[in-house]
Amino acid sequence: MKKRRILATIMTAAMFATTLVGCGSDNNSSSGGSSSSGNGGGDSGKVQEITWMFWDDLNATEDLISLGYKETIERFNNDFKGKYHVTPITTNLEEYYNKLNALVAAGDTPDVFIVSPGPQLTDYVEPGVAAPLDDYLNKDGWKDTFTSDAVFTQQTYDGKIYAVPLNTAAACCFYNTEMFEKAGAKVPTNWDEMMEACEKLKAANYTPVTISAGTAWCLSMVAGYLCEAEGVDLSKLADGSASWEDGKLESACNKLLDLSKYFQRTAAGDTNDVATANFYNEEAAILIQGSWAIAQINGSNPDFESKCGVFQFPGVDRIIAKSDSLCMSSTTKNPEGAAALIKYFTDDTAQKYTAEKGGKIPVTKVQYDVSAAPKQLGYVMDVFGSAKGTFGFYNESMPTTETGAHFDDTMVSVFLGDMKPAEAAKDMEEFYKANCRK
Amino acid sequence: MDKLLRNKKALAVFMLPAFILFTLVLFIPIVQSVYYSFCDYKGFTAPVFIGIDNYKALLSDKTFGIALKNSIFFLIFSCVSQLIVGLFFAALLTNIKVGRNAFKNIIYLPCVLSSAALGLMWMFIFSPKLGINQLLEKWGVEEPPLWLMDTKGHIILPMWIIAFVALWQYVGQSMMLYMAQISGISKSLMEASYIDGCTKAKTFRYITLPLIKPMIATAMSLNAIGSLKFFDLIYNMTKGGPNHSTEVLATHLYEQGFKYFKYGYASAIGVVLLVLCLIVTLFINKVVKTEQYEM
Repeated sequence: MKKRRILATIMTAAMFATTLVGCGSDNNSSSGGSSSSGNGGGDSGKVQEITWMFWDDLNATEDLISLGYKETIERFNNDFKGKYHVTPITTNLEEYYNKLNALVAAGDTPDVFIVSPGPQLTDYVEPGVAAPLDDYLNKDGWKDTFTSDAVFTQQTYDGKIYAVPLNTAAACCFYNTEMFEKAGAKVPTNWDEMMEACEKLKAANYTPVTISAGTAWCLSMVAGYLCEAEGVDLSKLADGSASWEDGKLESACNKLLDLSKYFQRTAAGDTNDVATANFYNEEAAILIQGSWAIAQINGSNPDFESKCGVFQFPGVDRIIAKSDSLCMSSTTKNPEGAAALIKYFTDDTAQKYTAEKGGKIPVTKVQYDVSAAPKQLGYVMDVFGSAKGTFGFYNESMPTTETGAHFDDTMVSVFLGDMKPAEAAKDMEEFYKANCRK
Repeated sequence: MDKLLRNKKALAVFMLPAFILFTLVLFIPIVQSVYYSFCDYKGFTAPVFIGIDNYKALLSDKTFGIALKNSIFFLIFSCVSQLIVGLFFAALLTNIKVGRNAFKNIIYLPCVLSSAALGLMWMFIFSPKLGINQLLEKWGVEEPPLWLMDTKGHIILPMWIIAFVALWQYVGQSMMLYMAQISGISKSLMEASYIDGCTKAKTFRYITLPLIKPMIATAMSLNAIGSLKFFDLIYNMTKGGPNHSTEVLATHLYEQGFKYFKYGYASAIGVVLLVLCLIVTLFINKVVKTEQYEM
């Protein structure tokens, strides 16, 4: 009996101890598996770990821009071997902000993270999650390498810069030149010609337009162009001097419904990636998308480059432009290392890659080989050249992230037939009254 | 044993770990959530008390309305379908001699698999270009249904599909519970009913069913709670789309909390979910009246 008791006590103690071992933390894990036999460059002589969060899987992606980011990180890790080591935290775009926000809420903000300018960046600037970067930008003439101070406009709050843009992209219409030719369709320059081209493509048994309503911002981007064509003024809507019910949004929604007759059948649920794949797999003739799609198109189907043309969204003078931007966490333990990492993304090597391989517009004054760059970049530059100005994504130009998401959802509701254009206008006006105007 | 139960110190020592664990991982978070539901809380700054504003906002939140409707649909569908199908399988398998274990394992297998993985698998099966539609196109169907994209109707097609997938995944659990209870019924009771001239159907109706009522209440409560906090299959199959039409309370809570930093609002949804679970459990226990019989 006594023996049994002793045995039971030992077993219980062993179980309890193993439980605690499971909960224990490994003090050596902070270097994330990287070598700690550094050359003494860091404060404590150990390799300083930097986390970098991004919205694409760097090991699985075929997107050339993402692959360029991967190269930049590898270059940084090599150049700073023994001092800093960057570990990417990656997820898909749809999950990105949810996961980033979960990390932020848990007090585990990545040292450097990518973010879209506009209310999404505001979400991190206002509560102090993102750190101002002026001191680093003003050091060693880093800021002077950028094309102009205007590239920081959307990243500036109260005179301080909170994010560094990495490239610029414009939302355009990509089209399959071969399909256009076979269908006898012309590149449209106004709305009527767009409808005419779609009709000819449909008559030739092609799917005229591929778009994603499953990823709501894709459809909302088109709605943004249509609103621009109707003269919607977002700043006046925000301050209450204009109303969503003035007929402009309604008219834009009607045009969206006209265009939606030419969308692929699965547009309601297709994700952005699926809709883009429809285009480069030659299942549809037109893709309305940002020029970041060039990297995805050419990365997934390099043979398609020669067939891919670009035209400006018809009926508008300005184009939607946006940049990927990097923020630094205000709680990072390695601000110098994090700033050095961000700088690597804007150095000549990275910026040349951006243009020559990725097909995006560089943000610095770097000279790149135009002949080496994808053909589509040249077309996008032409569109940029002929446009009378730029404006932001509609959902990123509204007062809050939630307002932008509400606009996206409303446009999808119109497309799905859940809401009539007039109801959509009323709904947006009510939302603005309740949430955006003081 | 009695001696041990009279020793209050020993009782306290044995209960303490469970009590601490329960307090830390359950009780404190619940109290915290209830408090946050009355606050404007973004997660980065201190919560600001705003009274019942979050609850008022729920009333005008269209997506919350859709999520509530879908959650209630799931609740009713799960309780009814798992009761019927689970009981059917349990009755069937307790009456067959050959292959009972094999069938039991096959039906129970989806229960032990990851819901996330199963959600992705079913998403591919019902995708517009793969799975079922690929087969339908091969068989000459020109425009096969868009299983997970249709948005027409009061309860839309994707909700029915997800509900059936959930039934497929969890019916094994209900079946096992009913089988355990049926196996505990004395054979002499059954034999007596047969001697009295009962058919198998009548024996099931008048002997088996009353005797397994306590398990029906338990299984229904488990199904109800499980279906109200349903998340993984929906998130992996539709992500609440198209346009929030397959959103349920748990996915809406996740979106409000982690996409828009509205932790206070998300907590209010959580509290509604908690209250719903309590009401439904009480309702089931009240409706399914159980009596104890000697088995």
